[in-house]
Amino acid sequence: MSTPCVWGIDIGSLTVKAVLLDAGGKLLARGVEPAGYGGQQAAEALVRSLLDERGLRPADVVYTVVTGYGRVRYDGADEELSEISCHARGAFHLHPAVRTVIDIGGQDSKAIRLNSAGRVVDFAMNDKCAAGTGRFLEVMAAALDVSVEEFGHLALESERPVSISSTCTVFAESEAISHIAHGATRQDVASGLHQAIASRLFGLASRVGLQPEIVLTGGVALNVGVVAALAKACGQDVTVPADPQTVGALGAALYAAHKGRR
Amino acid sequence: MAKRYKKLKTAAELQRLMEGHYRQARFLRLGRPLAWVASGAPVELLRAMGVLPVYPENYGALCGARREAVHLCQTAEAQGYSADLCSYARSSLGSMFDHKGAPMHGLPKPDLLVCCNNICGTVVQWFEAVAQHYGTPLFILDTPFIYDHYEQQMQTYVQEQLEDLIRFVEKATGRRLDWKRLEEVVKLSNQTVSLWGEIRALCKARPSPLNAPDLFVNMAPIVVLRGTPGAVRFYQHLKAEVEERVKDGVGAIPQERHRLLWDNIAIWHHLYRFYNYFVNYDACFVVDTYTGGWAHQVPVGGLLEGLASAYATIFLNQSLSYRTELVVDLISEYDVGGFVMHNNRSCKPYSLGQYAIRRAATERTGVPGLIIESDMCDSRAFATEAVRTRIQAFMETLAAG
Repeated sequence: MSTPCVWGIDIGSLTVKAVLLDAGGKLLARGVEPAGYGGQQAAEALVRSLLDERGLRPADVVYTVVTGYGRVRYDGADEELSEISCHARGAFHLHPAVRTVIDIGGQDSKAIRLNSAGRVVDFAMNDKCAAGTGRFLEVMAAALDVSVEEFGHLALESERPVSISSTCTVFAESEAISHIAHGATRQDVASGLHQAIASRLFGLASRVGLQPEIVLTGGVALNVGVVAALAKACGQDVTVPADPQTVGALGAALYAAHKGRR
Repeated sequence: MAKRYKKLKTAAELQRLMEGHYRQARFLRLGRPLAWVASGAPVELLRAMGVLPVYPENYGALCGARREAVHLCQTAEAQGYSADLCSYARSSLGSMFDHKGAPMHGLPKPDLLVCCNNICGTVVQWFEAVAQHYGTPLFILDTPFIYDHYEQQMQTYVQEQLEDLIRFVEKATGRRLDWKRLEEVVKLSNQTVSLWGEIRALCKARPSPLNAPDLFVNMAPIVVLRGTPGAVRFYQHLKAEVEERVKDGVGAIPQERHRLLWDNIAIWHHLYRFYNYFVNYDACFVVDTYTGGWAHQVPVGGLLEGLASAYATIFLNQSLSYRTELVVDLISEYDVGGFVMHNNRSCKPYSLGQYAIRRAATERTGVPGLIIESDMCDSRAFATEAVRTRIQAFMETLAAG
C-alpha cells in the first residue's frame, strides 16, 4: 500500500536537512547530513536513504519544497521558498506562542518577527559578515583547538570571561589568540567569544523587536554556550526546539503538505 | 520564461540626446567654457552665462551602468583614495588619473568647477581634488542643512553666495550674466521639471506605465540638460508615450501584482538584472525617492531668490523626519504595498537613517520595508545570493499578507 507523503528539504552551507511528512502533516522521517560540495548530492542521498528506511518509493512523494542556500539547484523540487518563511512556519508549528525566531545558520543569521497567526511581519539578516554565524563558531573552536561540540560546554565553565571587543570573525580570532598568548584559560576565552556572538545576535534581533517567546533554530542552537549567552543578552528565556537543526526543513515540509492536499 | 521590459519608443531619442551632450562637451564647445558641476548646483546661472556644464556624477553612473566603474575605482584607490569613498567620486577621480582606460576617455578638462554641498559633503573634497589636479578655479556653494525649518537667514546666506557665484564665473570666463537669458533658462528648467513631475505622477495608474529602471534611465536629461529646449522636447515626447501607455492600460512589466517604492540611488551595475528579480514576483517599482529629487520647481519671483530656495531645500539637505514624511506620503499617493531601501555604501547622507525611516514609515502606514545592501557603482559590494535571498523572503511575506 502506498502512503502519499511530502518532503521539506533544507540545503544549507554546512549541512542538508530533510523532513518527510504524510499528507496529514504527521512526521514520517527526518535526517541531517553534511552538505559536502554544493549540497545537492548529499540531499539526494539523504532523501533516498530515508525513503528506503520507511519502505517508501519516490512515486509516493506528492510534493517537495526546498529551502536553504542550495535551493536553487535542487532538481526534484516542486517549489523553492526562502529560509525566512520556512523557519517561521516550522517554529510556529512547534511553539505556537513564538513571536521571535532567531535562526543561526552556517553563513547567515536571521531574526524573524511573527504575529499571533504565525505570519512573518518583519525580518532582519546579518550584514555581509560572518560574525554571529555557525562559521564564526567553527573558526573559533579551531582557534581554541577544541571540537565544536565541546566549545559551548567549555564556555559554561568559565569563571572570568575575557572581553572580545571585535565581532569580525578574522579580528576576533586574532584577539582570542592574543588572550591565549597572555595566559587566559580556554574556558574564559570560549566564554568571551560566546558573549561576542550573543551580543551580535542580540543587536540583529533587536531590529525586529525582541518579543517573547523567542525560539532559537538552526544547528548553532545545539551549542549550550550560545543559548546561555543569548538568553543573558536578551534578558529573557530562549526556547530551543527538540531538533533545532531541522526546523527549516519542517517548515518547508508543512508548506509542501499544504500544497499537496490541494 | 524570462520576463522582459517593454522598451520605450523614446529610448533612441534619449540615447541621441545624451550622446549629443557628451559630444558637445568635447568637440562642439564653440569657444564656450566647460564647467564640471555637482548634481545639486544651480546650473541655470551657468547656462545663462554661456558656460557648458558636465556632471561627474552622471559620468559615474554611466561608468557603473557600463560595468566599468570597478577598475576606475581601483585606479583611485591605488592613488590612496579610500575604498569607502563614494563610487561616483572614485570613478570620476580614477578616470581623471587614467583617462585612456575610461569610457569616452573621461570628461574633458574643465575650465571651472562648481559644486554645492546640498547633496553631500563628499562633493566638496572631491571637487577640491579635481581643482588641485587641473589647477582649475572652484566655487563651493554652501547650503546649511535644514534640521527643522528653512529660515530667512539661510535664504539670505545662500542668495548672497549666488551673487558671489556670478562674480566667480565672470572672473573665470570673462562672460557676463544676461538676466533676460537667465529668465529664459529658468523657464525652460521649470518646464522640464513640470514634465518630469507629470511623468512620475502618471505612474499612479494601475498598472504603472513605468518601473524604477525606466525612471532611472530617463532621469539623465533632467540632471544634465535641465534648462535646455532639448530636454523639454524629450520629456514632451516621453510624457506622450507614457500617457498612451496609461490610456491603453499597458504596464511596465507583464503583470503587476505588487506595487513598490524604491529609496536611494539605483544599483547601476545590475540595473535590469536586479529589478528583474522583483519582476519575477510581478512586482513593479511605481515610485522612488531618488528621481523625485529633480522634480523641484524654481519658485516664481526674484530669480536669485527662487534659485536659492530651490537648491537649498532639496530633500537630501533636509532632516530625517522630512524624509520620513516623504516616504509616508509617496506610499499613500502611489498606493504601494511595500518599500525597498538600498543601503548604498557610497552614499552616506542618503543611507544613514534608513533604519529609522523604515521603522517609522512601517509604523505609520503598516507597509513593510526591506533594506538591501549594495553600492550604486562598485559591484564588489553586491552579493547576488544574499540579495536574492532577502528579496525572496520579502516577496513571500508580501504575498502572504
